[in-house]
Amino acid sequence: MQLETEAGAVEAAPALPDDSLVVRRLFKHYGAVHAVDDVSLECLPGEVLALVGENGAGKSTVAKILAGALRPTSGTIELSGAVVDSSSVHESRRAGIACAFQELALVPDWTVAENLSLPDGRALRPFSHRVAIATTRATLEEFELDHIDPSVPVATLSLADRQMVEIVRAIAVRPRILILDEASSALGPPGVEWLFRRIHELTALGASVIYVSHRLREIARIADRGTVLRDGKVVGQFTRDNWTDNELVSLMAGREASRHFPKRPALAHTSLPPALAVTNLVADGLSGVTLSIARGEILGIGGLQGHGQAELLRALYGAVPASSDSWSMGGAAIKRLNPVRAVRLGAGYVPEDRKREGLALQMGVGENLLAPWLRPVGLGGTPLLRQERTWIQSVFDALSVRTRGALENAGALSGGNQQKLVFGRWIGRDRKLVLLHDPTRGIDVRAKQELYSAITMLSELGVGVLWFSTEVEELVHLCHRVVVLYRGAVAEELSGKKLTADAIVGAAVGVKGKQ
Amino acid sequence: MTRLRREGAVPPIAAFIVFLTAYIIINPGLLTRFQLQTAANLVVPLALVALGQLIIVLVGGIDISIGAIMGLSNVVFATAMALLPVPLAILAGIGAGLACGLLNGFLVAYGRLPAIAVTLASAFIFGSISREVMDRPGGGITTDFYLATSGELLMFLPASILWLSLAAVGLWLLLHRTAFGRHIYGVGSNAESVRAAGINARATTLGAFMLSSILVSFGAIMLAGSTLTGDPRSGDPYLLTSIAVVALAGASFSGGRGSIIGTILAACTLGLVGSLLFFAGVNSYWQYVIAALIVISVVGIPVIVRQVAAAGRRA
Repeated sequence: MQLETEAGAVEAAPALPDDSLVVRRLFKHYGAVHAVDDVSLECLPGEVLALVGENGAGKSTVAKILAGALRPTSGTIELSGAVVDSSSVHESRRAGIACAFQELALVPDWTVAENLSLPDGRALRPFSHRVAIATTRATLEEFELDHIDPSVPVATLSLADRQMVEIVRAIAVRPRILILDEASSALGPPGVEWLFRRIHELTALGASVIYVSHRLREIARIADRGTVLRDGKVVGQFTRDNWTDNELVSLMAGREASRHFPKRPALAHTSLPPALAVTNLVADGLSGVTLSIARGEILGIGGLQGHGQAELLRALYGAVPASSDSWSMGGAAIKRLNPVRAVRLGAGYVPEDRKREGLALQMGVGENLLAPWLRPVGLGGTPLLRQERTWIQSVFDALSVRTRGALENAGALSGGNQQKLVFGRWIGRDRKLVLLHDPTRGIDVRAKQELYSAITMLSELGVGVLWFSTEVEELVHLCHRVVVLYRGAVAEELSGKKLTADAIVGAAVGVKGKQ
Repeated sequence: MTRLRREGAVPPIAAFIVFLTAYIIINPGLLTRFQLQTAANLVVPLALVALGQLIIVLVGGIDISIGAIMGLSNVVFATAMALLPVPLAILAGIGAGLACGLLNGFLVAYGRLPAIAVTLASAFIFGSISREVMDRPGGGITTDFYLATSGELLMFLPASILWLSLAAVGLWLLLHRTAFGRHIYGVGSNAESVRAAGINARATTLGAFMLSSILVSFGAIMLAGSTLTGDPRSGDPYLLTSIAVVALAGASFSGGRGSIIGTILAACTLGLVGSLLFFAGVNSYWQYVIAALIVISVVGIPVIVRQVAAAGRRA
């Protein structure tokens, strides 16, 4: 193993040159979730440091903290031995740290010139669009972007052009530390070459670049050193030419021997019409997905976020417009779908954001469970809860919901128990298909175990489950089959012996055929 | 032209032209000196208050206290006119409005409270203070002041139009020719991006509330000038009308989009509906219905056209 483990690397660090960036013991907590958990880094002048990890590993959070866009819970950032005031993007940039953000930080209604010229200087200074356009044109020419017209609103540019403008904005202030957060994600191959030329120019002048990415091909070419993050922690470090794809992928995916997964249920309902069969599903963000799920089958969806998983689940629930060549649910043909009809046909959906899309936090636990089953006319409030008491209690039992009762406010429950409410709606309600959007994200281990059991229970009852998870281990251990989405289409289908963590992560980051 | 289209100003401008044509056909007397002056005095305070509302809408908020700020500024100015020289009285009126804007802006920008809640609450406070300052119409506004603000500057040129033009040009320079003005549009367009770009979004929001309250105070002083009195209730009718004007002007209530010229012309349209009906011999109660229909059709027709076009593309 050529990768150094954390303990060895930190102790053996050589004396650093005076003008290095040193990040010490960074933490960022959101309630009980530790997005960044004791991350220390150093970046030498003229060096390209890669920050790699899967979705949710904490890379972007670290980048945002360094850029001043997010305040850490604790930890310090030092540049040339002086502590950097990273209380705002403005302060960080004054200290010499600039960042091209992943979620584009350009104001869409502003022109390119406004986006490049407005951030710096006093607010009440005169602003001449003509002058801004002229200086911006010069800047764009300097960085080989002559084809971009500085006088058009950013919203009218292609995604790649927008990304390059965002990068140029960060480079144009001549930073000592440039942070590129997934900067290549919207760039095609020529754009990546363009980006690498910019990086070489900067490092030749002694500036450093922190390259946040999960694209191993690019890291192999550009990074001098790298740090691997998983679950907010540094899990390894590597130096140029001293690593292989496989090692890095394993390190990113992680091995959690301690987690206990229930046994995958046997497929026993395959004689019934499939829970879902759809060919060539097209929607916003989906370019022709073909899937079928047998009754009782657990089909996992893998891949990096933003490659169409959320869109797929929403389209299958009828929450966004979609078209297909053929589409059926439990044998019933579908031409057009909306959520009400989806529920009537036997579908259930656990959305991405339980607080925003899933629950009415000010309402009772019981009413939240009953939400999809309320008739527009009929009993409501406590009498209804009394009538449905047996069912509500059975959901509490099946999922071990920890609550003081059906009348408690959903907002008073812990995150894991809230998630059980969103999930519990579909239990014991004769579902054919349940669509899950990463239901175990951000909940504690015990709640996760309880959801795993509930999912396998649904499977045993003959419910088809479509499960998008950002945790590769869940896909490997609990799903019968996994499809990996890439750019809105199925990149790979894995089952049996080929269903491994490395294969899923490899397919997600565009490395094929890993074992 | 491109900018007008992007800011949504084309429909209100077209609506104004249609409305004005209809008005002149029904009542050619508008083009006499007296009627022109009366119409200008009716429209100018509304235009100024609507511009104040526009600024708040541009940063993604809404100001429910705008009528109360106007009333307070109006009575402070009218009271001060009885005691102080005119320039100081004007400063007092604007100062009173600015204080209101500072309070609202501070709570919204730094207290992170929603603008609608803050301004709803402050509307009651400002309203009570203005009744404390002056509980019935009065004050010491002079005829000279009336002539300077609401008289006739040249033949066929009412003075109030000049003052509105000055305010509009000044505001245009501030919004389109300073970084602060562009920040205002940016905050409403996408506050997250603006912050990530290293711009102080909170200071921009506070500045927007201050700028808005100055415009509203200016409108209050113009109103005091044209009516020759201060009245604590004078601002009340302007709240809903100012929101309607901003809607008619094609501004986006989520922020970031809205034009000055569109707002002024929309204020002219809605401000004159009442007098048009008077000349047409229609019961004045109908003015609100007509105003509502104008807003709905001008705002709604482009939306329907776009939806039909989009549905056509999908099919």
